[in-house]
Amino acid sequence: MMKDSNSIIEYFQHITDHTQEYAQSLQSKGHLVAGYMCTHVPEEILYAAGIVPVRVLSSHDSQAMTRSYIHETYCSFSHDCAYRGLTYYDFFDLIVTGSSCIHMGEAFNTWVRFAGFKEKSFLISYPHIIHTKPAAGFIVESFKEFKQYLEDIVHKSITDEDIERAIKIYNHTRRLLIQLWEFLRYKESPITGAEVAIVTLASQLMEKKEFNQLLEELIQKLQSVPRKNLPGVRLMVSGGACDDLRIFDLMEKLDNSASLVFVDTCTATRYFWFEVPEDRTDKLQTIAEAYIARIPCPAKDNFPGTGEKKRFRFIQQFIEDFKPDGVVLLYQRFCSPQPMDIVGLKPILNNLGIPSLELELDTTLPITQFQTQLETFVNIITGVAS
Amino acid sequence: MAYNIKSWGAFKDYQSTCYRNYVEGYGGLRCMGSTWSPLAPLKGLGEDVFVIGGEPHAASKAGTFPKEARDDIIAAETAGLGFHSCSYLKLFVGEVVRDKIGITDGTITDGYPKPDFMWTTHLCSQHSKWYQEISRLMGGIPIYAIDMIGGGNAEKNPKIVNYVSNQIEEGIHWMQRVTGREFSDELFIKAVRNEIKVLVLWGNICALNMHNPAPLDERRLIALFPPAVVDRTTDETVRLYEGLLKEVRHMVETGQSVSPDQRHRIVYFGLAHTYGHPEMSRILRDAGAEIVASVYTFGTAGNFKGIVDGKWTWEPIDPTWVDELDLSTRRKAITELVKIVLGWPTWQGVRSWWALESMAQAMITEYNADGLLLAPSRSCETDFRNGYVGMQRMFKSKIPTVEYDSDQVDVRKMDLPGAKRKTELFVQLMEAHKKGGVC
Repeated sequence: MMKDSNSIIEYFQHITDHTQEYAQSLQSKGHLVAGYMCTHVPEEILYAAGIVPVRVLSSHDSQAMTRSYIHETYCSFSHDCAYRGLTYYDFFDLIVTGSSCIHMGEAFNTWVRFAGFKEKSFLISYPHIIHTKPAAGFIVESFKEFKQYLEDIVHKSITDEDIERAIKIYNHTRRLLIQLWEFLRYKESPITGAEVAIVTLASQLMEKKEFNQLLEELIQKLQSVPRKNLPGVRLMVSGGACDDLRIFDLMEKLDNSASLVFVDTCTATRYFWFEVPEDRTDKLQTIAEAYIARIPCPAKDNFPGTGEKKRFRFIQQFIEDFKPDGVVLLYQRFCSPQPMDIVGLKPILNNLGIPSLELELDTTLPITQFQTQLETFVNIITGVAS
Repeated sequence: MAYNIKSWGAFKDYQSTCYRNYVEGYGGLRCMGSTWSPLAPLKGLGEDVFVIGGEPHAASKAGTFPKEARDDIIAAETAGLGFHSCSYLKLFVGEVVRDKIGITDGTITDGYPKPDFMWTTHLCSQHSKWYQEISRLMGGIPIYAIDMIGGGNAEKNPKIVNYVSNQIEEGIHWMQRVTGREFSDELFIKAVRNEIKVLVLWGNICALNMHNPAPLDERRLIALFPPAVVDRTTDETVRLYEGLLKEVRHMVETGQSVSPDQRHRIVYFGLAHTYGHPEMSRILRDAGAEIVASVYTFGTAGNFKGIVDGKWTWEPIDPTWVDELDLSTRRKAITELVKIVLGWPTWQGVRSWWALESMAQAMITEYNADGLLLAPSRSCETDFRNGYVGMQRMFKSKIPTVEYDSDQVDVRKMDLPGAKRKTELFVQLMEAHKKGGVC
């Protein structure tokens, strides 16, 4: 039992800063560890097989090494994830991804071709449009192949009971994380948005039972500490993968006051804001349907017939619930699906009277550039710009 | 002496007529979408469905109206599309933003004709998003995007073939609902056979470039495949390509070529940048070097035997095979169409590095190449980036290999002087190699 909420948050922060060390500690405890590159990977099946999934995230290092493997016009997130394979994570027992955007696909290919993972890798064939009627059946077939592959690795069959247990553990994680983010709906909160982002990132790296226990403890402690006013302008982030926690920290440390209240990205709420129905008969079908129903990745979001982007409905709901004063539209330079969505999203934000700012991330840019843009944005919102 | 293609004019006329039909409409249905889609289902609604396709239209607009094309791209950027996005996409969206359309007969018409519906595909991260954006700009056009999940040998994987076929079945019902037209299986099946036939015929024409001298060069290949891309479902396209195959076979038999000076034979991976930048081809041509094979011109609208016994081959498919295909029911016709479309080399390479490497290996061997030119397009994320890196590693010690960045239509993204220097270097490298020097 840790003494206070800050200690627990510091522990989560330590894990996000030392993922390699943490993953190795899991192995030393006898766990098999699988790296996964995209949230379309059904972690429940890995977990049911007794394998701990650890998300491969950025190293925030120079791209000098990876440019020998991936073209420079691929986003720095994909470069960084490839870099992890070429350097730190050679000890992983397995690397898995679900077919996602082209850039992350190339990061995965780099692991397979050049980082020694050819014989211990699995690509889950996953639809590029998730809303078609035949998509669920296709995903179930892919999950079956994946399950079979894992059974061969662990030399045992993965039973329905194993999967159900994993579903319940993962749902518990999701419910706890939603509970944590719910603190930010109000003007006063016992925790800041940047801190919630740290915990959320840690959830993607940690063994789930251990994580759940710590998060339960954290929420319990937060419920008893005095709530503080979330100062200044309320900012929501919407966009692509961003595991660079310094950006969120920066938002809350600007010269003019701002608070982060929501993050709609695949490294934050899109990762967990859904549940897999429990106690259903067909486990793989249930997982497939749940993954389809979640907030879609912009690379896969095209509703047949209307071409609607379903994600926009969720964004509008989050705006209503979390009441941001402004939205930061954040994406990695060279990303294609995110900026394409922004063109359609901006008119919706305009109609709602919510100002927005596009922030194009790249590890080669100095942080002061982001600071200037964010400060200007906050000035515009508060109307104090000279 | 250089050979002049006799059917050249007929090919150009067909392309312009397709676009003219879309512009005028003539009381038929207008359809917009990627022409990487299976097109025959459209013709089940009637032969008066006129198609405009993103990539080929953008490419031909850039070739016909270079300055207009630049203005289109800038208009799309002003409307919010990012600098790094696909330049075909931006050119295409830019025309809608500027509300005018330029086609290959040299005319520009004010008022972009609104499509009745959109029928397209999705594979890369933004492929169907073009049409989502245009649908939004035009106030909401019904859109159906087919997930063409692929990579490697997708056409031989029943799970993938069924998945794509099921989507097309659904799509046919959807088209009936949004257009109010009945779907004719008879027209559809006829269009399927034509579509498959054209793709196989183009594969046969390209395969004749294995001969020395290669009868066709890259610029001619780029100019001759548009009918197969723009609308390959008609009887007329079949006639065009049957005629061209006969003519090119005759060229081979008589040892003729559109570009007979072929001291160096080049295999090329990239988009159509040598068409947009003739100075590149000129450097090659002056040195007696010609691009004789490329995945882009061969594989965007052509089919080959593909993976046989675990290895890729560019051997052509016998055209009579198409006549014998059992297309007696809608489902059988859909399945055969899906297999052929999934089998396109370009689709295979997008999601599969190993298939791309196998294709390159086979192309270099079967086309007896002296050099490998790699020119990835900066704004096309699907342009086999990782494959290029792998190919450099694989081939640079075997045959002269040069890589530089290009762009399909946006000159701002291309370092022309740098690319020219590298092209000159490439020619010298091949010359040295031929004289027994090292790569």
